[in-house]
Amino acid sequence: MDKSQNKKHVVLFYCAECEDLARKVASQSDLITLQTIKWRNFDDGFPNIFINNAQDLRGQHVAFLASFSSQGVIFEQLSVIYALPRLFVASFTVVLPFFPTGSFERMEEEGDVATAFTMARMLSNIPISRGGPTSLVIYDIHALQERFYFGDHVLPLFETGIPLLKQRLHQLPDSDKIVVAFPDDGAWKRFHKQLDHFPAVVCNKVREGNKRIVRLKEGNPAGCHVVIVDDLVQSGGTLIECQDLSILKKVLAANGASKVSAYVTHGVFPMQSWERFTHKDEVSEKAFTYFWITDSCPLTAKAIANRAPFEVLSLAGSIAESLQT
Amino acid sequence: MAATRSFSSPCKSPSGFAHLLKYPTLPSSSSSSTSLPLPKPSAVNALKKKTNNHQVRSEIRSYDNHHQNWTIEADPLRFIPTSSLASPSSVPMATSSSALESSVKNAKKVCLFYCAETKALAEGIAAHSDAIELRTITWRKFDDGFPNIFIPNAQGIRGQHVAFLASFNSPAVIFEQLSVIYALPKLFISSFTLVLPFFPTGTSERMEDEGDVATAFTLARALSNIPIPRGGPTSLVTFDIHALQERFYFGDNILPCFESGIPLLKNRLQQLPDSDNVSIAFPDDGAWKRFHKQLHHFPMIVCAKVREGDQRIVRIKEGDPSGRHVVIVDDLVQSGHPENGLSYFWITDSCPSTVQAVKHKAPFEVLSLAASIAATLQI
Repeated sequence: MDKSQNKKHVVLFYCAECEDLARKVASQSDLITLQTIKWRNFDDGFPNIFINNAQDLRGQHVAFLASFSSQGVIFEQLSVIYALPRLFVASFTVVLPFFPTGSFERMEEEGDVATAFTMARMLSNIPISRGGPTSLVIYDIHALQERFYFGDHVLPLFETGIPLLKQRLHQLPDSDKIVVAFPDDGAWKRFHKQLDHFPAVVCNKVREGNKRIVRLKEGNPAGCHVVIVDDLVQSGGTLIECQDLSILKKVLAANGASKVSAYVTHGVFPMQSWERFTHKDEVSEKAFTYFWITDSCPLTAKAIANRAPFEVLSLAGSIAESLQT
Repeated sequence: MAATRSFSSPCKSPSGFAHLLKYPTLPSSSSSSTSLPLPKPSAVNALKKKTNNHQVRSEIRSYDNHHQNWTIEADPLRFIPTSSLASPSSVPMATSSSALESSVKNAKKVCLFYCAETKALAEGIAAHSDAIELRTITWRKFDDGFPNIFIPNAQGIRGQHVAFLASFNSPAVIFEQLSVIYALPKLFISSFTLVLPFFPTGTSERMEDEGDVATAFTLARALSNIPIPRGGPTSLVTFDIHALQERFYFGDNILPCFESGIPLLKNRLQQLPDSDNVSIAFPDDGAWKRFHKQLHHFPMIVCAKVREGDQRIVRIKEGDPSGRHVVIVDDLVQSGHPENGLSYFWITDSCPSTVQAVKHKAPFEVLSLAASIAATLQI
């Protein structure tokens, strides 16, 4: 939806891995212009960065599209993020589509180190610019409580990829037979309100001895095209979760689902684990019909693009709109 | 200004330079000529494993056996037995080392955590004092590469003085260590000290053009954001930071404690058979500014880098090296390969990965910061 008020021209910088996404964002709107940064390294591995045309940024709204796909790339992007607001810009926005460490956000025991807190701290320390606190745009953060991990110098703007999914579902020929399945209560809490016009199925992970079992808690998938919805596949950081997804699919199929698809906002597949979904290695069961991810994790999106059953739903339009906030 | 001097032999550095510090060698001499070719102009020419505090002793002998007059000042340093590494020096901040030499009566007990790279140095530090106890951290990774860290016996450090020995030798290890650094102060400890012997990015500390990104500022910011524990702002101990102005890059929630490796050098120089024939050379004014006060009782030579057309030349600005053993002093070298024929190449163990690489390989000698750090932890 176009908002005719608040139209602002935005200069968009980006990290190397986000170049494709940045170009897509800029193509969504004449108001968004791409700008480049010289990313080099000294021999010792530390960054040697130069922001081109820095003086032209004065009085402009500026944004940076970040991606912390690994620890090694954080410092160089953070250096730019800390430098841009001080160039007399009119406002500063950081778009970090995927907030990593988001699932490690609590101390269950004294001694746990909640790295989500480290990440939030680093981002809260962004200098304020003339436009006030930096806006920080994040998609489908893992835990809603994380909003309060940030200090007052940033304004978290929590967005979601679900509208993209809804749009896509409405395009399907069997869109009237769709049932949404949530793998656990956490996913249901986070997403059910946005999907309340679809019938829902909620599952549970249950332990029986050493085995982890997925059970249907509520809802009935029989005869329907079930779409499993979650923010990411690996919430515990282990490959077990991918197996959980396959198990979930089997349980749903066993309960009568005619087709099973999946949607995760963030294609976090450590160690190429997405490959197990491309092979049709399950002899008796069908593979996923569709497996939707967004391009919040650009490296995965690139690797997966156009490999059935994966389809990448781009956040570009949504990001372009959020830059107008 | 980065001390970007390359010590590669001339044929390795094709970009223009000239040696103006070349001394004649006679066939019977065992010393080699010392050329000091100049760095490539850009500051990008940095050694992958950076050495800190490199002091090069080059044999420079002329054969008239002329020794410069050497005035021995009545400096307490000169008469201290060199076997004691913890000798007091004219450097003011080392006064706390006397606490180390006396018994542990006034010493505060410190729980010292460390990262994988600094384990050897941490063990060295703990060996210097009964008051320092090593603690472990469980460092693991999740499949996505992000850290999965656990601090065992976290309740056991309540009310304790705690320190963390960090090493940011590459950007990739910063986040995991920072996670621990941000977590420890909130565990009801009584004080927190972060020992970061080498402060990387230290040479990238200014904006010459609008658009330069001074990464020293990023690092200072990240460290200034350490939560305040009981006991007040975190103490940050670092050795021979590249630019003294960087003290003011830190916010008020952290107390920078700037230490130096020079006392270790002074001790070592005293042990040399020709310690009375030593002169100190500074590669540029920046080095002179930072170090001359600690070395004022040695004769000095100050160099300057000068441009002649495309060539960069080293000239001697003041001082006379003839007949002397010249020791070049700086905080770091960022270069290719050291010159063959250097007699000694001293570094400290502030950069543990380099120490591993050069251990027991002449002409390198590692001077350990362990004692100095152990003393500083008592502040």
